[in-house]
Amino acid sequence: MASLLSVEDISFGYSATPVFEQVSLDISPGQVFCLLGPNGSGKTTLLDCILGWLKPHAGRIMLDGADITDMPARQIAHHVAYVPQIHEKTFPYLVKDIVLMGRASYLGPFAAPSEEDVAISAQALDMVGMGSFKERPYTQLSGGEGQLVMVARALAQQTPLIIMDEPTAHLDYRHELIILETIVKLVRDRGLSVLMATHNPNHGFYLQKNGINTRVAMMRNKHITNFGSAAEVLSEYKLGELYEIVARIVDCVLDDGGVLNQVVPVSTISRG
Amino acid sequence: MSNTRKSFLILVFILAPFLVILFSLSVGRYPVDALTVIQVIWCKLTLQPCPVDEIYQTVVWDIRLPRAVLGAMVGGCLAISGASFQGLFRNPLVNAGLLGVSSGAGFGASVAIIMFNNVLITYLLAFGFGMLAVVLSYLIARVYKATPTIMLVLGGVIVSSVFSALISLLKYLADPTDQLPAIVFWLMGSLANARFSDIMMAGVPMLIGISGLLLLRWRINVLSMGDREAHSLGINTTVNKGIVIACASLATAGAVCVSGIIGWVGLVIPHIGRMLVGNDNKVLIPVSLSLGAVFLVIVDDVSRTLTGGEIPLGILTALIGGPFFVYLLKKTKGGGW
Repeated sequence: MASLLSVEDISFGYSATPVFEQVSLDISPGQVFCLLGPNGSGKTTLLDCILGWLKPHAGRIMLDGADITDMPARQIAHHVAYVPQIHEKTFPYLVKDIVLMGRASYLGPFAAPSEEDVAISAQALDMVGMGSFKERPYTQLSGGEGQLVMVARALAQQTPLIIMDEPTAHLDYRHELIILETIVKLVRDRGLSVLMATHNPNHGFYLQKNGINTRVAMMRNKHITNFGSAAEVLSEYKLGELYEIVARIVDCVLDDGGVLNQVVPVSTISRG
Repeated sequence: MSNTRKSFLILVFILAPFLVILFSLSVGRYPVDALTVIQVIWCKLTLQPCPVDEIYQTVVWDIRLPRAVLGAMVGGCLAISGASFQGLFRNPLVNAGLLGVSSGAGFGASVAIIMFNNVLITYLLAFGFGMLAVVLSYLIARVYKATPTIMLVLGGVIVSSVFSALISLLKYLADPTDQLPAIVFWLMGSLANARFSDIMMAGVPMLIGISGLLLLRWRINVLSMGDREAHSLGINTTVNKGIVIACASLATAGAVCVSGIIGWVGLVIPHIGRMLVGNDNKVLIPVSLSLGAVFLVIVDDVSRTLTGGEIPLGILTALIGGPFFVYLLKKTKGGGW
């Protein structure tokens, strides 16, 4: 099957020093791709390149087999939607107005959303279970609710691939799980693919456990150092190396008899 | 909101500026009753000989009407540009002067007053320097083939302060008996010299700017999500920001060059709009246009009736708008901020 997204040997740097070099990755339909890496390893920069916001200095990025170099923003937006890590809220827009903005790439420059666009965004809000919030100012939502609205906006964009930059940062356990459950539902029921940067390797285990085709990649020292399924990549040794920590992986036996692996960070290793 | 109520409100916002203009034709130091006003307008529009005394015709048609129409256009332009800039720059505290258009225009007008002492040249230089200031701010902000919002704000601050300094320099050099007061009064804003020719001239950039902003108004929502998100939603941020800035600056420069600098309207009218109809720019932009027009015509009526002389508009907009704004803040509890 053709890949939704293939990143081929791209390099990027803001000045002479590169942020990353010769990075490649590949996402097929129905896959969740977890990108792990310490702070400052260039995960967000890589996502920005894939979104066409930054231009890589070398290599190429293909969306559905087409090079994005000369693609206008509108066309990229038909392939990939984006859920930002931090969304700065300035004006108290209503939740429904926020989700409607996901329709921007389908509208002409002078057009306003049609009834159909309104229906599509209402559906997207229902899909993440936020339908009853649509008349509320989004500035009054909690962090988790706000994040779900951002996911709904991405869904309204109707793309096969959604990029999420640390979608569960700042969220409590319950809301973290709500986001993960939403991802599982979207991938399972609608065949979407998700590329997410995350700080929590347990997300990989969680998705794997729930029967999602999960790929995990580790980004460190300007390169993708490890890549594979969650079970292959998320080992005590590799995680230890990635974060310069001592890590243990434990098996949690769940009520249904299934096993969910969890990473336990134990201590740091001095960088000596 | 039900559809009938919605249609009714739309009608109110469209009609309000026209009604206020009509009303202001009968107000002033020289009272004209409503019937006479309608008579004059009717025969002027139908090009019939007028049964009304010549002096009434002059007062209503040649003096008050151009002034009221120009006031409505200026107020509308300042408010619509302010609302657009607040969305574009994701900052509820900015107004249309952010990129230096007012201080640039002020400088152009001061140069014209000192060197040429001609009304037409004053308009042209004010407009030209107002637009030049915006272009300079834009060029300063241009890095990496893009114009990050924060760099635009910075560019605007730099250009504004340079032009403000130049205005001070010109004031210092100006002849204190006639030129200096002329500059000071210009900078305080007035519609006292409004004539139909002004509407014809300054109306062109104002109408182009207004039309552009009305057409792009929903996109301003998307732009207010920030550059990166707007891009990921499928908007070419550089092009769209450029067009919004160009339209807002044309409208503001067109307004400022005939009226002088009138503060407050561009900042506060959009906020009054936000309290009344919410923050969706699809609704807010046209509502700001209407409110700005109504507000400035009323303020101008007060300006010319309150005392024997004319009170500069820049003073009155704040004196009238301030308390009204506080009243609305209390009444709407701030509107969800």
